[in-house]
Amino acid sequence: MVVSVTKQDLSLDDRVEDLIRQARLAAAVFTQYSQEQVDRIVKAMTIAAIQNAVMLAQAAHEETRMGCAEDKVLKNYVASEFFYNQIRDKKTVGIIQEFTEDNMVEISEPIGVILALAPVTNPTSTVLFKSIACAKTRNSVIFSPHLMAANASNLAAKIVYEAALAAGAPTGFISWVEKSSRLRKETEQMMVHPEVDLIFATGGTQMVKAAYSSGKPALGVGSGNTPVYVHKTARVASTAMDIIISKTFDNGTECPSEQTLIIDREVAPDLLAEFKRLGCHVCSLEEVEKVASVAIDERTGGMNYRMVGQPAKKIANEAGLDVPASTKMLLCPLEGDIRKHKLAVEKLMPVLGFVLVDSVDQGINRALDINYAGGTGHTAGVFSEDDDVVEKFAEAINAGRVIVNSPTSIGGLGGVYNNLNTTLSFGCGTGGGNITSDNVGIKNLMNYKRVPRRKHFTFAFQTVKNIYVNPGTLDHLKSIDTKSAFVITSPSAGKRGHLSMTLERLPADCKVEVFSDVGPEPDFSIVEEVVAAMNRCRPDTIIALGGGSVLDAAKVIRLFYDYPGLNLKELAVNFLDFRHRIIEFPKHMKTKLVAIPTTSGTGSEVTPFAVIKDREEHRKLSLVDETLLPNVAIIDANLTRSLPVDVTRDTAFDALTHAVEALVSTFASDYTDGLALESMRLIFEALPACIIDPDDVVLRHKLHNAACLAGMAIGNASVGVNHALAHSLGARFDIPHGRANSAVLLSTIEYNARIPNKFVAISNYPVWIADRKYARAAQFLGLVPEEDGKPLSPEAVAAAVKALRLAIFELGTETGQPLSISECGVSMADFEKELPGLVMVAANDMAIKTNPRYTLKDEFVELFVSSYPRRSLK
Amino acid sequence: MSPSKKGGTTTSDPVRIMGSLDRGKVDVDKLIAQSKNEIVLDFATCTFISVEGLEWLEELVIRAASSKLEVRFENIPPTIYKVFKVAHIDGILKACGAPSSRLGPVC
Repeated sequence: MVVSVTKQDLSLDDRVEDLIRQARLAAAVFTQYSQEQVDRIVKAMTIAAIQNAVMLAQAAHEETRMGCAEDKVLKNYVASEFFYNQIRDKKTVGIIQEFTEDNMVEISEPIGVILALAPVTNPTSTVLFKSIACAKTRNSVIFSPHLMAANASNLAAKIVYEAALAAGAPTGFISWVEKSSRLRKETEQMMVHPEVDLIFATGGTQMVKAAYSSGKPALGVGSGNTPVYVHKTARVASTAMDIIISKTFDNGTECPSEQTLIIDREVAPDLLAEFKRLGCHVCSLEEVEKVASVAIDERTGGMNYRMVGQPAKKIANEAGLDVPASTKMLLCPLEGDIRKHKLAVEKLMPVLGFVLVDSVDQGINRALDINYAGGTGHTAGVFSEDDDVVEKFAEAINAGRVIVNSPTSIGGLGGVYNNLNTTLSFGCGTGGGNITSDNVGIKNLMNYKRVPRRKHFTFAFQTVKNIYVNPGTLDHLKSIDTKSAFVITSPSAGKRGHLSMTLERLPADCKVEVFSDVGPEPDFSIVEEVVAAMNRCRPDTIIALGGGSVLDAAKVIRLFYDYPGLNLKELAVNFLDFRHRIIEFPKHMKTKLVAIPTTSGTGSEVTPFAVIKDREEHRKLSLVDETLLPNVAIIDANLTRSLPVDVTRDTAFDALTHAVEALVSTFASDYTDGLALESMRLIFEALPACIIDPDDVVLRHKLHNAACLAGMAIGNASVGVNHALAHSLGARFDIPHGRANSAVLLSTIEYNARIPNKFVAISNYPVWIADRKYARAAQFLGLVPEEDGKPLSPEAVAAAVKALRLAIFELGTETGQPLSISECGVSMADFEKELPGLVMVAANDMAIKTNPRYTLKDEFVELFVSSYPRRSLK
Repeated sequence: MSPSKKGGTTTSDPVRIMGSLDRGKVDVDKLIAQSKNEIVLDFATCTFISVEGLEWLEELVIRAASSKLEVRFENIPPTIYKVFKVAHIDGILKACGAPSSRLGPVC
C-alpha cells in the first residue's frame, strides 16, 4: 500500500485520487475498531512522537529557519505527551456519554476523511497533534504541509503512521502530500473533492480562507493579536518573566503570544526596569520607527513574514539598532492613538508593543483596541491579583481564551500552565470567522449521535387534603382551628341563608370578617379590594362560600394576600406542558382556605384552577397550579337544596362535561377514570329525578358528589376541546358555562371518537383510545353490555359511542337542557357573523392541549356548525 | 464450492467469508475462472474487513465483470455493510444490491 504520492509522473488528478481513495478505505475500515484497539494505536503513536520529539524539532528548525529548536521540542511534547495525557481516558468509540437523568446517550460517529493543513510555524507539532487526534476519533487524515516545511511535517506524519500501523491501524489512515511545486494545487483540489469530509485548517490566512470557501465543513483558525493588560496589582517580577517566556517562545511564532502590553502607569516603571534587568531592550521612540520598518510589511500593513520567528538580535540588526547579542525581546512604546500605530498588529517575532494607562477602564479599552485590530476571538491575557479586574477584563474582551497571570503562548496551548484543552489549533469563534472558539481537539473531530429514549412520564394525583362529605357536614366549621376567619361570598349567600348557616357554626372565639360582594365573573379589582380588607384584620383562614366564581376568586385572593408581589398576568401565561412552564408559583400557602360549594358543577373546591376576568383586556385569565388547591372542602348538599332548576341542570351538565372530557383527556389515568365514570353514573342516576323533586337532599347529595368527583378528575386530567368551544361561545353570547358545554357536547364526542386527522404529539399519550374510552363509559353506564374483559370490535366501539351520545341526548331532552347553540337563543345571523371570532378564541384556549385529538382550524368550524341546529339523534 | 445446476443456469454455492477478511481468497479467485454465471459471497460470519480485504473485493467485482460474471453479496452484518457504505466503492455497493443510477449506485 502506497501511503504517499511519490510517483511524480502521475497526473495531478491521479495523485489526488490516490490519496483520497486510500483515506476513504481506511476511514471505512476504522469504523469497525473498538475503543481498546484505538487506544492501543494512540499510545503507540504518542510513544513514537516522544521518542522523535528532538529530532523532529531540529528538522523543522533546519527546514524553516524559524523559531528555536529547543522550544519546538517542547511543542512536540505538548502535542504528544500532554495531549495524550488529556485524551487517554476519553471515550471516542460507541457510547461516549450517558445522561441518565435525561434518559439519553451520546454515541460517536467518525467524521471520515479529514484534510489537515499544517503551518510553517509549527510544522511537526501540529502534525503530531492532528494525527493522534484523528486516530483517537477513528478518522483518516491527509496532511497538506506548508511548502516551506513539507519535509519536516511529512517526516512527523510518517513516524506516527508507522507506529500506528504496527499497532494495528488501518492501512493508509494517515497520508500526506509530498513536497513539490504542485503541493498547493493538489491541496486546492482536495479541498473541493467530494470524498473529503472535513478540512482542518491551521495555517496562513489565505489557506484558512480557502478552506472556509470550499463549501465543505471546515475547522479553521483565525489570526491573533493578543492584548495583555498588566494591572497595578500584578506581581512585577513574575509578570515580566512570564511575558518574556511567552513572547520569546519559539521566537514568538505562537499565535496566542503577547502582541501589545497595556500597563497601568503606576506599575510601569518597575515592570520596564525588570524587563531591562532580564535582558530585554526598551526602544526609544526613534528606535520604534526603525523596528516597525523591519517588523511590518509596508505594502500590507501586516507583519513582515521574513522576520517571523527570528531572534530579537537579528531583528534589531536589520533595524539598525545596537543591542547586545543576548537581547531577548524588543519592547516598543506605542505613542499616540494606538489604533493607528503600525506596530499594533500581530507580530510573530520577539517584538512587543506597550502602552501606559491610568485606570482599569482605560486599560480594558486599549486592550479592546488591540483585540479588535485583527485578533477578535483569539487570545488575550491579564495580569492582576484582583479577581474583579480579571472578570471585568474577560467579560469585555472577545477572545476564545483569556489567560490569567501566565504566559499567553504556552498558556494558550493548554496543559502546561492551566487546564485548558491541549491544542495546536486555536478556534477563534465568529470573531475570527471560525465555527468554534474551542481549543480544538478530539471533541471537534467527532459527530455526535444523540439517542434519547422516550420520556418517562410520572402521573401525579393531587387533590384537597380534607374533604368532608354528607348533608350537614357544614358542622365541621365548629371544630375548625382558626382565630380569625375571613368569609368570602356572593350576595345570594345571604339571601339563601347560607351565610348565616356558616357564621353561626364558626367557633365562638374566632374573629370573623365578611366580604359578600363577589358577583359573577369577578375581576382583579375585587381581589385587590378583598386583599386590602384582609390586610386590615389579618385572618389566618379564608372561608369561600358560593359557586365557582366565588371559590375561584377566593383562591386568587389567598394567593395575593400571602404573596402580594405576584404579577397576575405573568401567572396566567399560557403553557403547553405544565412540567416545563416558565412561571413558578409560590410553593406553600400561608393562609388556610376552606371551600364550601353551593352549586354542583365546577368542582372548584377540589381543582387547582382559578379563572379571573381581566377587564382591561376583555378576557378571562386562567391560573393553574397545585398551590391553588384549598386545604378543606365541605360538600354539604343542604346548601344546594334551594338551587333553581335551570341552574341545577346547567351545573350538572357542566359536571357531566368535566367527567366526559377528563375520561378521554391525554392526561387521563386510572385514577381520574374511576372518578369520571362514577361522576357520570351519579348524574345519569340523580339529575332527572332531581329536576322533578329538587328538595330531595339525597338526589342533591349525589349531584354534589358527582361535581366534586368530576372536579378531582379534571383537576388532574384537565378538559378538552368541548371546554374551548364553550369558553368561546359563553364569552361571546353570554351563555352560562354549563349550558355552553352541553350545547356542543354531542358534537365533540362524535368528533373525538373519529380517528384523528392529526394526532396529538405528547409522550404520555402513545395510543389514541378516545373512542374506546367513550365505549367504556357506555358499558359502565349499562348502555351496552360488558364483554367479559374482551376488547370490543371496532363496530362494537362505534355502537357504544352512539349509545353514549344517545343517552346524553335523552338526558338533556328529559331534563330540558339545551343541547345545541340554537337552543341557547343565538340567532343564525349572529352565529354566522361571529363564527370566525368564535373559532379564533377557541383555538387559543388552553383546554385544547389535553384533548385526545389535535383540533385543526377547519375542525373548529365544523364543531361549531354541527352544534348549531337542534339535535335529532334518533 | 462445486458448481451446481439450478433452473438451467450454472450457479455456485455461496462462498462463506468467515472471520476477518484481511487479504485475498485464492479459492474465490479460482472460482472466477470456473464460474459461468454468478458468484455469491455470504458475509454472515464475517467479523472484520481490512483495507486489503476491501481492495480485494473491489478487484474481484472488476475481474468478475470482465468475465461477464455477476457478483452478489448476501447476509451482510450491519458493521460490514457500514464499511461498504463508508468506503463508497461502486462495484461493492452494486454487489450489495444497490440500485444503479446515472451517477453510480444509490447508497
